[in-house]
Amino acid sequence: MLKNYMRRPEAGAFAAFVLTYIFFALATPGTGFVSINGTAGWLNLAAELGIVAIPVGLLMISGEFDLSIGSTVGAASMILALGTNQFGMPIWPMIALALCAGALIGLVNGLAVVKTKLPSFIVTLATNFIVIGATMGISRLIANVTSSSIVTSDSAKFVFAARWEQANISILWWLLVAFIGYRVLSRSVFGNWIYATGGNLDAARGAGVPVQRVKITLFVATGVAAALVGILQGIQWNSGNATYGMGYVFQAPIVVVIGGVLLTGGYGSVTGIVLGTALFGVISSGIFYTGWNTDWIQLFLGLLLGIAVLANNYVRRLALTSR
Amino acid sequence: MKFKKYVAAIGTALALGFSGHTPAFSNEDGPILVVSGPLSWPFFAAVKKGFDDGAEIFDIDYQYIAVTDTSNMTSDYPRLLQQAISRNPRMLLVGEFFPDGMDPLIKEATAAGIPVLIHNSGQTLWEQNGSIGFVGEDPYQMGFKAGQIQADGGVAVGLCFNQVPGNPTVEERCNGYVAAMKEAGKETIYQTIGTGDATNPQAMTQAIKGSLQANPQIDGIYTLNAVPAMSALRAVEEVGRKGEIMVGTADLSNEALLAIQSGDLAFAMDQQPYLQGFMSMQIAYQYLNFRLHPIGHVKTGPLVIDSSNVEETLRVNKEHAGVRGAS
Repeated sequence: MLKNYMRRPEAGAFAAFVLTYIFFALATPGTGFVSINGTAGWLNLAAELGIVAIPVGLLMISGEFDLSIGSTVGAASMILALGTNQFGMPIWPMIALALCAGALIGLVNGLAVVKTKLPSFIVTLATNFIVIGATMGISRLIANVTSSSIVTSDSAKFVFAARWEQANISILWWLLVAFIGYRVLSRSVFGNWIYATGGNLDAARGAGVPVQRVKITLFVATGVAAALVGILQGIQWNSGNATYGMGYVFQAPIVVVIGGVLLTGGYGSVTGIVLGTALFGVISSGIFYTGWNTDWIQLFLGLLLGIAVLANNYVRRLALTSR
Repeated sequence: MKFKKYVAAIGTALALGFSGHTPAFSNEDGPILVVSGPLSWPFFAAVKKGFDDGAEIFDIDYQYIAVTDTSNMTSDYPRLLQQAISRNPRMLLVGEFFPDGMDPLIKEATAAGIPVLIHNSGQTLWEQNGSIGFVGEDPYQMGFKAGQIQADGGVAVGLCFNQVPGNPTVEERCNGYVAAMKEAGKETIYQTIGTGDATNPQAMTQAIKGSLQANPQIDGIYTLNAVPAMSALRAVEEVGRKGEIMVGTADLSNEALLAIQSGDLAFAMDQQPYLQGFMSMQIAYQYLNFRLHPIGHVKTGPLVIDSSNVEETLRVNKEHAGVRGAS
């Protein structure tokens, strides 16, 4: 029974999450880290990363990377800012446009990767630079700025920036994306295709899996999710900025790997990715509640990443040997 | 502009009647090169606007050189400067952000007879490296002023929040702040954040919130950019201490100005980036044509923006987007 659970991809992430949470709960007495407001804090942080980490994780299970998410987040926020502030457009059409832009970037990534057969790591790294460069260049041409205010409406504010106490609505968006990701990966034929594509591309193609369509679809989903994060951040902070999201370029793959997805593809779960993201949220906000010297935070993150990958490797070996 | 010069060159050639004599233009041949900060920062967008406007008024062609990826600036800037010098420019306008790598190169350039003018950063170095002058402000003095304002405002424990640890110019602001607070007998805490989160307002909010929870005696926050300033305001609100903690920032944004207007943000320090670009271009023009230049520091800051002058700043910001380095 226990061994069955141990074999699941999220087992390592779950254990790491529980241990880390207990550690910070004990290390931050009386600071309110475990209070509702403290919990809302790290959930807010995890939610925005988590929304983009889930499609990135599915993409990694199918054997591909997407590093262009960072600039897509910034581009989406700038589309809202330029549209509403410079051109006086209402917010909702600009939200639709931002999502379309995200889908388009994903489509270009997907087509470029499957047609050229180049490593997606390089292709999407190039897209990342192209998109942030284009965002800045166009912003400067239009408005002479690279960050700008967003004029929003009450309805948009509610959908993308509502808060209950201190919990942002982005947490609900995260849960929604996680639910969709879970249904797709674990309860649909498309999910089996994703595993097959990343597990053994040639065998999958031989079995009739439309591997190109799988990859392109996931790239588009990733672009849309990144644009959604840009919209959430932009409306929440009333401001678009071409550099929003640049931290996600590597944070998203990091939490995906902590969550038990193999870098080589073919193995992983949405629950694991969610737990990996939550773990990242706990560490990156918890360390500040300790009052320790903050120069250490990245050392801590690095160690944790190392441990998580080792644990996952161990869990996977268990899964493969004792079946 | 290029076209105009081309026409002028043809005109000269005609006037000389194709006599085969090359006019003594060798000194004028090299380009005017600007090595300055990343344009993704609204601040340097305003610096470039100043350069552009100056170039247009004085009819100068120039090229703006900067990094696009800000993750590796300490080594990227010396490399960019090296490349600029190797093009043998007519004049070099440099932001000396990373002195360890850049100062030896500037000395090489001035020794080779290239006129160099420093802007924004490098205020303590320009006299030694042979540059003709400096336009900008002293980040240490900017932080010092912020510390003085907070100490006078009754802050007992001040938090300096640095979102880009490892950048010596930005770190100087915290050093100045800490020195001023210490001089007034106050305490300070220095906080940094992981490099990947420098542009993530949510991560900065949670980081500052955590520090406020861990150190409830903090009653003043100084941020080094306008984006973390907004994060600091949100963090103060989330710990339920709005009105008890004095928040001030370096640099501007439209949001920051609105927060000053509403009384949430105490002050923002403006180093008037537009002037750094514009005046550099003006000095370049006057130096190249008449060998004239100001003697010593040309100071562009800090200009303190608080409730007394925020309305006027907001008006300018609306009418002339990008000039104030705030949008």
